[in-house]
Amino acid sequence: MKKLEPLAWVGPAVLLIAGVVIWPVIEMIRSSFLQISRFGVVREGNFPDNYTKVFTSKDFGDIMVRSVIWVIAVVALTVLISLLLAQLFNQKFPGRKLARWALIAPWAASVLMTAIVFKWMLDPEVGVINLIRRDLGVFLNNTFGIEPSSLGLLGAMGGTSADQLGQASTAMPWLVFVAVFVSVPFTTYALLAGLATIPADIYEAARMDGASKFRTYWSITLPLLRPALTVAALINVMNVFNSFPIIWAMTKGQPGYDTATSTIFMYILKGSDIGASAAMSVVNFGMVIVLTIIFLRVSRWNKEVA
Amino acid sequence: MNIKLVGGAALGLATMLVLSSCGGGGSSGTPADGGNTAAAGGAVTLKMVAADYGDGPGAPNSGDNFWKEVVAEFEKANPNIKVQVTVINWNDIDKQVATMVQNGQAPDILQTGDYSGFVKDGLLHKVEEIVSPNVQQDLLAKFAEFGKVDGAAYGLPFVSSARALFYNKELFEKAGIAEPPKTWDELKAAAEKLKKSGVSQPFGLPLGQEEAQAEAFLWMLGNGGGYKDAAGKWAINSPANVETFTYVKGLVDAGLTSPNPGTKDRKTVWEDFAAGKVGMANGGPMSIPIFDKGAVKDKYGVVAIPGKTGPLNTTLGVMDWIMAFNQNKHPDEIKKFFDFFYTGPAAEKIVDLYKLLPVTNGGITKLSGDEKLKPFLDGLPNASFYPFQDPKWSELNTQIKQTMGGAVKDPAKTLGELQKVAETG
Repeated sequence: MKKLEPLAWVGPAVLLIAGVVIWPVIEMIRSSFLQISRFGVVREGNFPDNYTKVFTSKDFGDIMVRSVIWVIAVVALTVLISLLLAQLFNQKFPGRKLARWALIAPWAASVLMTAIVFKWMLDPEVGVINLIRRDLGVFLNNTFGIEPSSLGLLGAMGGTSADQLGQASTAMPWLVFVAVFVSVPFTTYALLAGLATIPADIYEAARMDGASKFRTYWSITLPLLRPALTVAALINVMNVFNSFPIIWAMTKGQPGYDTATSTIFMYILKGSDIGASAAMSVVNFGMVIVLTIIFLRVSRWNKEVA
Repeated sequence: MNIKLVGGAALGLATMLVLSSCGGGGSSGTPADGGNTAAAGGAVTLKMVAADYGDGPGAPNSGDNFWKEVVAEFEKANPNIKVQVTVINWNDIDKQVATMVQNGQAPDILQTGDYSGFVKDGLLHKVEEIVSPNVQQDLLAKFAEFGKVDGAAYGLPFVSSARALFYNKELFEKAGIAEPPKTWDELKAAAEKLKKSGVSQPFGLPLGQEEAQAEAFLWMLGNGGGYKDAAGKWAINSPANVETFTYVKGLVDAGLTSPNPGTKDRKTVWEDFAAGKVGMANGGPMSIPIFDKGAVKDKYGVVAIPGKTGPLNTTLGVMDWIMAFNQNKHPDEIKKFFDFFYTGPAAEKIVDLYKLLPVTNGGITKLSGDEKLKPFLDGLPNASFYPFQDPKWSELNTQIKQTMGGAVKDPAKTLGELQKVAETG
């Protein structure tokens, strides 16, 4: 009986995990084998029809490739910018407290809200970003005689060129920008915490040995930052891959499926075919696991962190 | 330690129960007092569930307020019948009703967007059991027809909506256009003039996800096309439809429409129209309050939608339903309530309050004096509908919403792909 005692302590947690994590996963996989009506009534098992439908759908390949590019672009940019910001915020400068607080803002605001605000700022008729572009164009033209269109700026509001979210080629960079914007605060803070754990005497020793600033960063800061960096990047990879509100609020994956990632595709499928949507969820689930494994391999988590 | 184990397990179990009851039910706001049988004093209580056409609980135009007044008047006239109305918002009503039905607590009366799902299981009263013949005969025939499954009517059309062309009179005047367009050629000429006078969106074209299926259908109707042909076969890529979208593509390419129509929602276009940035756009009675709040108040007109060779004599009809469940066996009381609703002032009031359209000939006659509503009412008796009774429609609709915008880039390809979805799934 004594042996069972720990169970009393971990039991509730295990049950909770079983109830809110494992059971839904099992249900998800089970649903992907079923034909389910629009009203949620299960009709029959139809494995592997749902999967065939997902894999053979015209846009599936593009969507998966886009999802991977989306994850890599957002996470790489986020980490790069956060490394710089963390370094900056680790210095002592007047107003540092204020600057650190300000950085929290994009993190504290709801992602959906941020995405909607950016969508409005990019509105082709009244968006403030387009207003600035127009005014800048007018200014350049008046002051320097430069034709605004040669710089990609506009002379007028409205019209196709003001509608940046209307085309995949201009919408994607904006989506990535917003995703980076909301991911940077968390990542920066995680890295800041990492920087704080690096003992000052190592830097002192490096200085005594006459190491250059770059060399110090490359050989001391980065390696010692690795645990924080790995965790921050890994959380970002999963978050960004599953990221839904930014794309949904700003483009709904349109035009067509040209800005849709796999999560958006799964959600759109849900509107017409719950079984196929579940199959897509399973694919997504698998993708997250694969991405995570690849990521851990690349960052050699086991060898050097532990 | 035994106690600890049991305690822990109990706690875990309790957590799960709480969790599962949150996930499974979602039926907050459901009256669970079981008052669906005869109440005290021989009075019968009818339980009713209705969708909220207003701005939600607490708003002056909330469904709660509307039904409270209707019920008060009804109960005054019929002291033996009590009606207990639960108003649920559109997002949740289907789920909550499904839960009620699954638990054997179906309401007596349900007002929502679809009735057909309940017919198969034999849950509904037939229409002739629950309204008087004169009410049934007054219903618009084309609408009532859609309330039938295998020849028997189960769904009563409740309210409807339709579409017409809104145009900005001020912008038209500034561009020197004397009359709103009646044909596609006139529409293009007007759009060009609007463009020249500096209007950024001469024609508001929402082919984005919100309601691409409606805008596309209205254009198809203008060329005698549609989603299905006269024989009831899918005809999305029919030559008529391809011609239609080739014409629309011409408008888009000339910059005469909203930019990138495949990403524009109807809401955005209507807001732009309200702000005076759009020359013309298709809209419904529900857009009137939006436009009246904007800069275009009293400066816009409504006409029938232009077709290729002349204005449409039809329009896109959309309707909601009311139905009665047979579980509690109160057809006579329900009949009294429905007759009261359709013949009394209530049907008129809901139409006026929420800018909806009536579904009875009598209702149309009463409203025919309203100039802004006239184009809608004219098209209503001859309305065209989505092929929503086809089981493929729901899947096709999702696909249309997502990809129809492509039809103004490559009409034949996009329509062909949609046709394939309709035919194979």
